[in-house]
Amino acid sequence: MPESLEALWPALEEPDTMVYAGGTDVLVRLRSGSGQPQQLICLERLRELQGIEDHGDRVLIKAGTSHARILDDPIIQTRLPVLARAVKSLGSPPIRNMGTIGGNICSASPAGDTLPPLYVLQAEVALRSRTADRRLPIGDFIKGPGQTAIRPDEILTGIWIPKNPEFNRQHYEKVGQRKALAISIVSLAALIELTPAGMIEDIRLAWGSVGPTVVTAPEVEAVLRGRPLRLEVLKEAAEATRRAVSPIDDIRATADYRREVAGNLLYRLSLRVETSPEILPR
Amino acid sequence: MKIRLSFRLNGNPIELETDAERRVVDLLREDFGFTGTKEACGSGECGACTILVEGESRLACLMRVGQLEGRSVLTIEGLSDGKHLHPVQQAFVEAGAVQCGFCTPGLILGTIDLLRRNPRPDREEIREGLSGNLCRCTGFQKIVDAVEKVVSSPAEGSDPCPVG
Amino acid sequence: MTTFSPDLANFSVRFDAPGKVTGAEKYAADYYGPDLVWAGVKRAGAAHARLKGIDCREAEKLPGILGILSHKDIRGTNRQGIIRRDQPVLVDDKVRYPGDAIALVLAENREALGRALGLIRVHLEPLPGVFDLEAALAEDAPLIHEHHPEGNVLLKGHLLRGEVREAFQHCAVLVEFVFQTPYQEHAYLETEAGWARMEPDGSLTLVASTQTPFRDCFEVAEALGLDRETIRLKVPACGGAFGGKDGITVQSLLALAALYCPGRPVKMWWDREESFTVSCKRHPARLYYRLGADSEGRFQALEARLHYDTGPYDHLGGAVMTLGLEHAGGPYRLPNIDLKAWAVYTNNPLSGPFRGFGVPQVNAALEQTIDLLARKLNLSPLEIRKRNAVVAGDQNAIGVHLTASTHLQECLAVLETHPLWTGKEAWKASAGPFKRRGVGLACVMHGQGYGPVVPDVATAKIELTGPGCFRIYSGVVDMGQGNSHTYLQIAGEILNQPQSRLEIVRPDTRETLPGGSASASRTTYTFGRALIEAAQELKQKIREKGAELFGAWDLEEVILMPSVVSHVPTGWKIPLSRIAGELAPEDCLAIHSFQAPIALDRPSPDPALQLHGLPHLIFSYGVHLAAVEVDELTGLVEVKKYLAVSDCGRIINPRIFEQQIQGGIAQGLGYALTEEFRVEQEKVLTRDLAAYILPTALDLPDMESVPVASFEPSGPLGLKGGGEIAVDGPLPAVANALAEACGIRLSQNPFTPERVLRALREQGV
Repeated sequence: MPESLEALWPALEEPDTMVYAGGTDVLVRLRSGSGQPQQLICLERLRELQGIEDHGDRVLIKAGTSHARILDDPIIQTRLPVLARAVKSLGSPPIRNMGTIGGNICSASPAGDTLPPLYVLQAEVALRSRTADRRLPIGDFIKGPGQTAIRPDEILTGIWIPKNPEFNRQHYEKVGQRKALAISIVSLAALIELTPAGMIEDIRLAWGSVGPTVVTAPEVEAVLRGRPLRLEVLKEAAEATRRAVSPIDDIRATADYRREVAGNLLYRLSLRVETSPEILPR
Repeated sequence: MKIRLSFRLNGNPIELETDAERRVVDLLREDFGFTGTKEACGSGECGACTILVEGESRLACLMRVGQLEGRSVLTIEGLSDGKHLHPVQQAFVEAGAVQCGFCTPGLILGTIDLLRRNPRPDREEIREGLSGNLCRCTGFQKIVDAVEKVVSSPAEGSDPCPVG
Repeated sequence: MTTFSPDLANFSVRFDAPGKVTGAEKYAADYYGPDLVWAGVKRAGAAHARLKGIDCREAEKLPGILGILSHKDIRGTNRQGIIRRDQPVLVDDKVRYPGDAIALVLAENREALGRALGLIRVHLEPLPGVFDLEAALAEDAPLIHEHHPEGNVLLKGHLLRGEVREAFQHCAVLVEFVFQTPYQEHAYLETEAGWARMEPDGSLTLVASTQTPFRDCFEVAEALGLDRETIRLKVPACGGAFGGKDGITVQSLLALAALYCPGRPVKMWWDREESFTVSCKRHPARLYYRLGADSEGRFQALEARLHYDTGPYDHLGGAVMTLGLEHAGGPYRLPNIDLKAWAVYTNNPLSGPFRGFGVPQVNAALEQTIDLLARKLNLSPLEIRKRNAVVAGDQNAIGVHLTASTHLQECLAVLETHPLWTGKEAWKASAGPFKRRGVGLACVMHGQGYGPVVPDVATAKIELTGPGCFRIYSGVVDMGQGNSHTYLQIAGEILNQPQSRLEIVRPDTRETLPGGSASASRTTYTFGRALIEAAQELKQKIREKGAELFGAWDLEEVILMPSVVSHVPTGWKIPLSRIAGELAPEDCLAIHSFQAPIALDRPSPDPALQLHGLPHLIFSYGVHLAAVEVDELTGLVEVKKYLAVSDCGRIINPRIFEQQIQGGIAQGLGYALTEEFRVEQEKVLTRDLAAYILPTALDLPDMESVPVASFEPSGPLGLKGGGEIAVDGPLPAVANALAEACGIRLSQNPFTPERVLRALREQGV
């Protein structure tokens, strides 16, 4: 259990090495799968990977920060409620105490709860190796189910999240088989810039669990941009959504259901603005 | 691979050598006889193995022993002083929140974690706070009642939820 | 034992709670010990196959492996079962489901055990599998048990009363309804666990998480060829059972392992995945209903066909089917019935007892059919039930005379004035955007005990101890439901002692006396009656000794008080500890047996149905109300409020009764909304608690339980069984609420968001 990055690099160079932070995903998979790696490194003690920093127009969440800490953070609560809502729906309290945002990103599950918010927020992952740092947009980092652009000699150090102040409404909804300890069947994250007259000035949407990675759909956003936030407009967007997603059948739901609901969730955006806890002062 | 560990367990300093691959739940149950840390799923889905590490709830089935190094660990056995029940334990007893009892230790430690974050939760927040602990006997209602009891009647001038 | 003593004067606090909240209480899963041997089982993993060979050579070479045993190492019948002994301890001929045990591995530690299990090669010759309940009944279906005279039919039953066909012709209104229920997994938090040791004197000590210690000893002895008298089975605190530990799980395998390594303790503890694959489930069922009524809504005729998938082995499947058949017409007057039921062998997961025992399935179909009928007649769901519900003195649907307490009408009356019923229109109207609300009802009834043939007996023993306390020896398991606490309360009431002066000895086949199974809503009723008799006898002995010591003129002058006997005229007192010293040892004890009364009606002449428990004499009743909200965008159904009004006789411990009602509702709501154990031939799809969806604290509402005033003269202090009845109501109550909310009626549970949304779309919502 390295306590600093300096101590980590040599260990990373060993063959057949796996790293984990919270263990809420990796250790579960190792239990049900076959074969143990030669070396399993726990990153929870890396001081450099802990904490949340406010950098003015952006927030840095370091990779080893637990979901519980993210939820408790006033910056996240007030400036990034779409992420707070998603994290609140993740697992359960002890899972949120253990699991980390870096782990959720690196697991790259199509159902990863933090991912749709990070896509609409246009977050960037920060990667570090012994010799170099680099940054990648979250959408370029995640390649497929369980697949990322991380190299064997790299670790994820954090995620940079722009505050996106022009978006005055943030929305998140997750559909699971129950209200806690639930793997997402479909989820929607949305950022909306809404005029006082109820026009959609700008919008960003991202869906979880309806494709191999998080689905973003510029064509759906285009349907909505510049139009009033009303049911008939959302209906059009919902139809476009159903064409844009590519869900699969699994133990939790069929592709048909996911496709249907991915569109339906847009209707929730029409609810009276004052009932939405996600409004931000302009 | 062997690993040397030193940590605090229920207030006592511990030094030992064991296999690095072992899970914390097995160490607590097999080496220390702290069988109040239950196992019911092995995969973080039920909360029966909840322990407190530095006062935060953790699932002992998803931890390797190395993660205890230097930490202060509390199991259900360390919660009361042997003479008096902890207020949360007392509330569970009095509210009828205990049936088969297999989920009870995890729920009590989960409650302590919840009250540390939110000393005045309402019923819905209590349900949310305990949503990682499955119970198959009670339907949860009396468990929620028990936590409400702790919140509404802390002993005069004392922390409603002392730990350790 | 813990030293904590909360206020134990009034029995409101369960005696076992302090030990459970401190982690001090030991469960079967908590037994270890020095020099421990870990035992584990190689499972078949195939649904239907002939066993051709087992290759353990690689596994045996591993360090830390003490032995690998197969059917060849078993000296007895190698068969287990309660009515039909058709299940092998270790497979010797055929595999009938993936959970079948092939080989037993003994290891020095868990790691070696796991590796060895991975290295055992089982050679199987696949046989065509039977995975559909009704396909299993076809002429040419492969046979699961070749020598069973009825082919794949484990048991069938037929109840006929009146002239059904003619009655249907005269009905003003008639509805038909078909419903299908899935496997439900008990998912007790404590998976199957036990511990065993061959003692130096040749006896065998077993510790197991079980509901049936005495019966288990007979089964283990017969299967392994042991003398039953040499087996001692102890049941410590049990981490939930719900019917899933009514029968053998780890017991025979553990005993076999202990025989192989005498003197060393052996531990077996199934992990959750193994428990899911191997353990029994609630029977899936297909239910075909036709119900007719006159223009006033009075039921005239009921026809039903009930198919229960019993899986690979009997495991009480015949008894489950029989109870379903008996309850298929519910608590209603029904002059004409034609009910047929089948319990069918398949290669699907093992079915068996599960709280409700065949009734939740039929009640789901019946209570939905009744709502369909009410709608046709434009009657309210409450009104139609009031017009048909039985009262004392009636014959019920299958013709049994209701001579015991029967207060269903009182339950309906309580519901009628309850705010959840009177305020339902306002509540429904206040649903928010994209939400719809509905309120549904279902009546429940549940028979208690074993029925007319198998004697429903329990024997209680109570002892005055040296310090002047009372020790109750209970052979009936408390798997969490709290019956053992109620035993203390009953004894305390008779002996006039506070809780702190009473203790219980948990089931131990050497120390306690046979009490029958912890099942069938019978534990407090049957043992409670035996205990009352025993406590009264001991009380008499104590008072007689007191009278002798006081020199009293009359026994009436001597009363029992907390920790003393008192002489009323003089106020003199003698401590019970002194009485205990003065009494002969045999006079410090009282032992009593009680056998529950049986019904004299014979709705069916079929001796097999009688043997399997038909009919019952005493029933509990109730009516449930579920208030649900449906989300139109996702199909998610949320139960917002729940009410259960019950007639379970006199409630002697309101808190324990409430625990049972709330717990039963919770399991019923899981069944209604999320729980479905799924397999695809030999593959388990819902492998673990991530895939099998139990409700969390956030998924269940607060539930209100209202018992009506009732007294069952035959019961201990007036009570009737309350352990199962609450699980019978939620599924139909939610289904009926869903229909009221948005006009949809699904053909199967659970009512998942996906199924609900599909139905909403078909409705054009």
